[in-house]
Amino acid sequence: MAVQTFKIPESIREGAKFSFCPGCDHGVAVRLVAEVLDELGLTENTILAASIGCSVTIYDFLDIDAVEAPHGRALAEATGIKRARPDKCVFTYQGDGDFASIGLAESLHAALRGESITAICINNTTYGMTGGQLGPTTLLGQKTTTSPTGRNVEYYGYPIKIAEHVALCDGTAYSARVSLDTVANIRKAKQAIKKAFEIQMQGLGFTFIEILSTCPTNWKMTPQESHERVRTQMMEVFKPGVYKDITLEKTV
Amino acid sequence: MIMEKNFVIAGFGGQGVLLAGEVLANAFMLANKYVTWYPCYGAEMRGGTVNCEIVVNDSEDVSAVNKKEADFVIALNQASVDRFISKIKKGGWLIANSSLAKEIRTRADINYLFAPVTKLAENLGNIKMTNILALGLAAKVSKLVSVETLAEALDNVIPAHRKHLLPLNLKALKIGYEYDLLPA
Amino acid sequence: MECLTKTNKKVLMKGNYAIANAAVMAGCECYFGYPITPQSEIGEFMSGKMQELNRAYVSAESELAAINMVIGACSTGAKAMTSSSSCAVALMQEAISYASADELPVVLVSVMRGGPGLGNIYPSQGDYNQATIGGGDGDYQNIVLAPSTVQECIDLTYKAFYLAHKYRNPTILLADGLLGQMMEPVEFGEYPYPEIDNSGWALTGAKGRHGRVIRSYAPLAEDQCVFLNKLFGKYKQIEENETDWEEINTEDADIVVVSFGSPSRNVKSAMKICRKEGLKVGILRPITLWPFPSKRIYELTQSVKKFLVVEVNMGQMLRDVKLAVNGAAPVEFFNRPVGNPPEVDDIVNKIKEIIKE
Repeated sequence: MAVQTFKIPESIREGAKFSFCPGCDHGVAVRLVAEVLDELGLTENTILAASIGCSVTIYDFLDIDAVEAPHGRALAEATGIKRARPDKCVFTYQGDGDFASIGLAESLHAALRGESITAICINNTTYGMTGGQLGPTTLLGQKTTTSPTGRNVEYYGYPIKIAEHVALCDGTAYSARVSLDTVANIRKAKQAIKKAFEIQMQGLGFTFIEILSTCPTNWKMTPQESHERVRTQMMEVFKPGVYKDITLEKTV
Repeated sequence: MIMEKNFVIAGFGGQGVLLAGEVLANAFMLANKYVTWYPCYGAEMRGGTVNCEIVVNDSEDVSAVNKKEADFVIALNQASVDRFISKIKKGGWLIANSSLAKEIRTRADINYLFAPVTKLAENLGNIKMTNILALGLAAKVSKLVSVETLAEALDNVIPAHRKHLLPLNLKALKIGYEYDLLPA
Repeated sequence: MECLTKTNKKVLMKGNYAIANAAVMAGCECYFGYPITPQSEIGEFMSGKMQELNRAYVSAESELAAINMVIGACSTGAKAMTSSSSCAVALMQEAISYASADELPVVLVSVMRGGPGLGNIYPSQGDYNQATIGGGDGDYQNIVLAPSTVQECIDLTYKAFYLAHKYRNPTILLADGLLGQMMEPVEFGEYPYPEIDNSGWALTGAKGRHGRVIRSYAPLAEDQCVFLNKLFGKYKQIEENETDWEEINTEDADIVVVSFGSPSRNVKSAMKICRKEGLKVGILRPITLWPFPSKRIYELTQSVKKFLVVEVNMGQMLRDVKLAVNGAAPVEFFNRPVGNPPEVDDIVNKIKEIIKE
């Protein structure tokens, strides 16, 4: 029987220590990206456009080439990188505020142009780094530091369903929403990330993964409670699944 | 003494004012002069007046722009006469299209050439030759550029897919140049 | 628009097309842009030419996106540019600050129109401050080149790419609507500068080495202090090496007129008229607006009695001239708030008025 040994992916910087809060899913997400880069042999051929928010520190953990981007502009920078160096694997790693609020125009237009880029968006229903304010994905009823009585439609409007919006863009080749609340779902998430990178390298179009994540610090919950919230509240609104996959459409 | 002369070409949108200016500027370039062309543009409406200015300079030096006075004004319609007659330098020329502007000489200190440019272009068989015909007139009056150089400039400016119109343009240029300056 | 970059042949060309052609000749690999009058011809030309040459062109969704696409492309060491105008260059200020902090060779062509706000599409020099000081956050400095003829639009576009890559610093070609729309005979020649080796910093994929991170984010204040001191060391070097200006008839001048860009043409004509009348007038035309020829202007205070600044704005370069003169001589000002340059006669009259005082 084969023995599986736990080891740190090659794509993780030597000696790197995650600085995320206990129970935050960012660490798992970053590790999954590193594993996928390893498995696809892309580590030495990849350029990352980083973002602003808790996601920014990814370049401290991954041993790959990276450039920072102003808040919301990661996919504009990624477009510039990919157009300048079309043979490179290019991806962004953003939060929901970066991707779907301040950067919505850049995000959707990159998808509409069908840029062969992979965008990974961490959806934790809040602005984490600045202390838990209301963001574009904050659920109805959710209390944040800027929705002290909870998000109500009259005052704040609705949260955005990102994966569905991206799937509507004709340039999108793949759009999926995954979660990291159970081991099974973490495995599924990794498969989705891998698929997205594979489709990118085939040059088929824009690929997108929305990852439902926890923010125990700002949600004021334990890690266990946080994952329970992902399951019971977030998944109710943000349903996991593959919203578009042109590689399947072709075979049907 | 360094020579610096300037032309204003003005008319309706669609009369080929900017193109005529470009041909003239090209001709000066071919004659190794320092030349500057610029449109006097603004939030002009389609169908409104269009004008451009060409400054030509004998020296190696750059030309001034936005000049207060003009040595030559080529006005293809009444609105352009009205707008630019006061800009003409004392002793300068108004070359006006009498098909679309009245032959009225409101200033005594400038020279006039009225010619029915639109009519002449119609006689030639293509009203669109108005602008090039007027250039022929300007060449004759200004004595600053030869009709041969203008012909070469036309060849420079007319794009490949319009080259079949070159002979007609050259004819228009010649008609303008040979137009009797002092008609009875 | 046909590409007219046949070398060593004079062609009559608009400033905007001249800039675009020069960028192509300089080896620009990527153009990203969003239309705005009076510079839209640059993007129009590039859309066809870059495809033809198998280089990159993207019609960006906004100027925010365009300048950030340039940053992305530049991070790989590519020659990349965008072009825009006034109120839209305003949108790019954040990214310009990032590009300065990330030390990326961004080339931005800014063709000035009337402001503030939407303003109008007439020529203007109202973005001198925007280019030389900027509205981004923190301490940073762009290199700013100011052409006054269509030929200079070409020469300085070449130089913009060179300096941007030589110093890894955002470089702005600051033209105006008049230059953009103006046609003059020009020659392209060959791109006259050496190619800069960027293998030490460009992102190429971390093959056989550790990953490189191009970033300004420095959580520790001490680190940021070290970085800023280094950055300003570079700026000092640029000031020493690259300050450029044109100077005519200053040796015996009583009055020196300081003017940049297209209005300097009328100042030259005015100076000639004054000289003919025996008035000792000279001109100093800054070609680099940053670094500004402050040192030379101060030297001139030894012999010059008065300075006159002529601009098409409300007095922006005026401040830099006053700082350079540092109280050693009076500095007068003559302007048009917006539009075409002041007329030659009006400049002559202003000079005479100042001399009489």
